[in-house]
Amino acid sequence: MKPLQTRAAARETAPPTPLISFRRIDLSYGDRRILEDINLDIGEGEFVSVVGPSGCGKTTLLRLIAGLARPTAGDVILDGQPVAAPSRKVAVVFQDYSKALLPWRTAAGNIALALSAMGVPKAEWPDRISALLATVGLAGDGDKLPRQMSGGMQQRLQIARCLAQEPRVLLMDEPFGALDAMTRQSLQDEVLRIASTRSVTVFFVTHELEEAIYLGDRVVGLYANPGRVAQCFDVGLAKPRDQLSTREDPHFLSLRHELFSFIKQA
Amino acid sequence: MARYETIDRLFWFAASLGFAAALLLIWEGAVHAGLVRPLFFPAPSRIWAALVHGVVDGSMLSDTVVTVSRTLGGWLAASLVGAALGALIGLSRRANAYLGSTLEALRPLPPASLVPIFVAVFGYSEQMVMAIIAFGALWPCLLSTVSGFRAVEPRLYEVARVLGMGRPSVLFRIALPSALPEIFAGMRVGLTVSLILVVVGEMLGSRPGLGLSILLAQRSFQSPDLFAGIAVLGLIGFLTATLLNAVESRLLFWR
Repeated sequence: MKPLQTRAAARETAPPTPLISFRRIDLSYGDRRILEDINLDIGEGEFVSVVGPSGCGKTTLLRLIAGLARPTAGDVILDGQPVAAPSRKVAVVFQDYSKALLPWRTAAGNIALALSAMGVPKAEWPDRISALLATVGLAGDGDKLPRQMSGGMQQRLQIARCLAQEPRVLLMDEPFGALDAMTRQSLQDEVLRIASTRSVTVFFVTHELEEAIYLGDRVVGLYANPGRVAQCFDVGLAKPRDQLSTREDPHFLSLRHELFSFIKQA
Repeated sequence: MARYETIDRLFWFAASLGFAAALLLIWEGAVHAGLVRPLFFPAPSRIWAALVHGVVDGSMLSDTVVTVSRTLGGWLAASLVGAALGALIGLSRRANAYLGSTLEALRPLPPASLVPIFVAVFGYSEQMVMAIIAFGALWPCLLSTVSGFRAVEPRLYEVARVLGMGRPSVLFRIALPSALPEIFAGMRVGLTVSLILVVVGEMLGSRPGLGLSILLAQRSFQSPDLFAGIAVLGLIGFLTATLLNAVESRLLFWR
């Protein structure tokens, strides 16, 4: 009985170890400094939105976590280990969904790509694929080729393929930037639902300030040239969020005001 | 809508057939009217007779079989080597550095000019003809395979990295399917080149086949046989291209 109590007590007092942490990250391409002295901790299960003017290195931060880019100095620590290469624990939803899907494979085939890379036995594929398609609202669309699907459906498919990795971290790089407003809103709500039911940590890069607030537990604002962390805004809005009431919440509006003035002077 | 399109297409197909028929009729009439010398341009009816005769006595059929199998054999060998070499060069910077200049130097050589070398090496043999075909048909496939593999969407390689896919898996599931349309485009050009070179090879190497039969018919002033051979070659070209198109649209259904 006793050890249990001490463990519980320890959890309350000690700050939780972050799942991802940037430690004194510098990154330059030749003479160009892209990122300078980035220090940032992201907790397990947290939904972090990242905003900033163009050229602030938001996407580069995301690529560092993914292991698709390496810092010039400093370390990105993921789950206690420095990131040296991509790992299946981290999934990436790219902005350009049409380039990220295999055009010669059906929706089901695109998900199968991830399942086979994960070493899932073939017998389990059909059930897994239909469950994943249902999760993103594509039930019954498994036989469609990407070119037969709308932009929103293609992005849903890419998210499903990422979920097939059963990732602990979901990196999203302006995933809804190319979609229309209605599609964008319904996908925002689906991502929130998926993130909370799967307790996955999300790093969400966007240039839409309202989207950043609506989705995030925390919004990280960056300065450009070189990219630096400028300010972190704790969102603290009630969950689950709602497209109407959340966006009308006075706290939402004041955060929006704060972020807009931040971006203006950044 | 679709029905009108079908009717439209049928109409233009009929029109093109009608035009060809009209040309043949004019030709036939011109020969009978004594406007052209039948020694150079025999009447289409005589060419048809020569064709039927060739088919009946079996010579045309055996020539066709030999020529077609040479064409396809040389073309397939060239396509296989071209695609493999092209993949290597398109995927590996190092292979490109080593092989690039050599291939650039070899590429513009007209294959027919190499016939004396092939004859010296292989003699007037089957291998000689095959070597000419394979050498000539290699380039289109090789070059478009290289560009196909170079043009693979970089994003897909990143997807593969994030998924931790192994090298063979990346090659066969991402790079090869991406490059396949261009490989096919190269193979289609290679097929045309093969048909040209099989005729050249048979003529220069005196190997029995449609090419040699055409040459011999010309030497013995059998112009109907000459034209009959040409007609069969045209038909082979048309049928093989159609067949390849059918295979291509099957394989590249996703386009």
